[in-house]
Amino acid sequence: MLKWYEQMVPDSDVVISSRVRLARNLATYPFASKITDEQARALVEEVKEINASLSEKENKKYYACNISTLSDIDKIAMVERHIVSPLLAEKEQATGLILSEDETISIMINEEDHVRIQAIVGGMNLERAHLEADRIDDIAYEKLHFAYDEKYGYLTSCPTNAGTGIRASCMVFLPALSSARMIQKLIEEVGKYGVTIRGIYGEGTKSLGSIYQISNQKTMGNSESEIIENLKRIVFQVVKQERKRREYMLSVNADEIEDQVYRSFGVLKYARQISSEDAMTLLSQLKFGKDCGLIKFDREFNIHKLMMGVQPGSLQWTLGKNVGSLTRDQARAEYIRKELPKIIINA
Amino acid sequence: MLCDRCQKRDAKILYTEIINGAKKEQHLCEECATDYTSFQMEKPLMNSELTLGDLLSTLLDTYSSAGVKKPDADPQALTCDGCGMTYEEFVGKGRFGCASCYQSFHSQLGKTLKGIQGSDVHTGKRPKGLTATTQTGRTKLDISEIEMLSIRLQEAIEKEEFEEAARLRDIIKQMKKEEETNNA
Repeated sequence: MLKWYEQMVPDSDVVISSRVRLARNLATYPFASKITDEQARALVEEVKEINASLSEKENKKYYACNISTLSDIDKIAMVERHIVSPLLAEKEQATGLILSEDETISIMINEEDHVRIQAIVGGMNLERAHLEADRIDDIAYEKLHFAYDEKYGYLTSCPTNAGTGIRASCMVFLPALSSARMIQKLIEEVGKYGVTIRGIYGEGTKSLGSIYQISNQKTMGNSESEIIENLKRIVFQVVKQERKRREYMLSVNADEIEDQVYRSFGVLKYARQISSEDAMTLLSQLKFGKDCGLIKFDREFNIHKLMMGVQPGSLQWTLGKNVGSLTRDQARAEYIRKELPKIIINA
Repeated sequence: MLCDRCQKRDAKILYTEIINGAKKEQHLCEECATDYTSFQMEKPLMNSELTLGDLLSTLLDTYSSAGVKKPDADPQALTCDGCGMTYEEFVGKGRFGCASCYQSFHSQLGKTLKGIQGSDVHTGKRPKGLTATTQTGRTKLDISEIEMLSIRLQEAIEKEEFEEAARLRDIIKQMKKEEETNNA
């Protein structure tokens, strides 16, 4: 079964993936700020049990594990691929994870909320991500007693998530807008509509390779579909702006951009050691060139998969061992050389 | 130009130090500059929770003090029967202690939620097959969504929350219209 980031999807020139997360808590345990270690262990075991009904009803494999049994490399690689949050990976209390084999669905246990159901799909497809998460929520509810109030909706640990508990987000690639230094303005603009733009690993993180995350801020007062509809409209606006800006850049600077794209390819193809930051920057330039049709390859490939593959955790995970930064830079260069397809050179 | 420290990457930053009048200039790459100077160029990946929590607790603090109308109803004295969390603790942490906190801090919550969320009424999904009582113990009546909204509308009017009332009125109108077209 192909992972979501291995599939080819529409609108992926700008929208890399769509994600919906539902925050849920069990009425029978104190929330994260008050839960004892013992209760946390019991919570993880109780939630992990829904694994069986998920596998049966969804007709695909689900894996359940305790985060503490994972190695540090596994954890970092999972954070890099957005399967778990940095918070879950770092937490000292018992935490758990249920993951579908295609990595579309992940359920974090004892994060900031008891249960966080997350669905990721490639490209611009918030509705599908929501549908997936919603279905899992229904299946989970058959076994788990989620705290719900007729007025306040789903009760969450933090009041910023209460109500629907939904956080919908799109991961977007904005090389043209960010090179025009328009991101700050964009952040202010979308803020008026209750939407935020942040670095790819959420709150307070930096953006790597011009990749940003656009998500809804408010979770109460509007229904899930209204929230998604609103976010979708704004993401489409951003997509439009980015495409316009790309066209403009190409119309005034085509030669330089083409040169840069091919140079990036050259370095990626022939470098013997490369840092993850450099790799991200070059891959983002290559993606830009590929999306604009400036560079063509002899086969289809998903650059975003490579972008995840070059992250320190994922790389060591592929290597199967923990290595120092120099070996890592060499291994990264080798990995990229192997994964990059040949280019088709026009005569 | 290569970085003076690592001699590998391009220098992007001219770092000038003046210590006791002696000036020292170095050309550094971003990575070495981050190592060398005490300031972080960009925030690290992991320490995000803290800042949001701090911000939230400042917000909550503002809302709660704005909420004190009668001197005898001190919100700081509220305590949750479920987990023993005090309202003060909630404001400090920006996190509830358990599901019962929502009821225990009920009197203060409306303002807080409206401030953060723009609303204090959930209008989205209900768990499938939820009947009888809610988790917080309040009885759920077996009524239609329109009836539920009408009750909320009534409440809003009583509380003189006319913006909310207008919003609910429009939703109800829309739903009735849809119902009619469905039945037709």
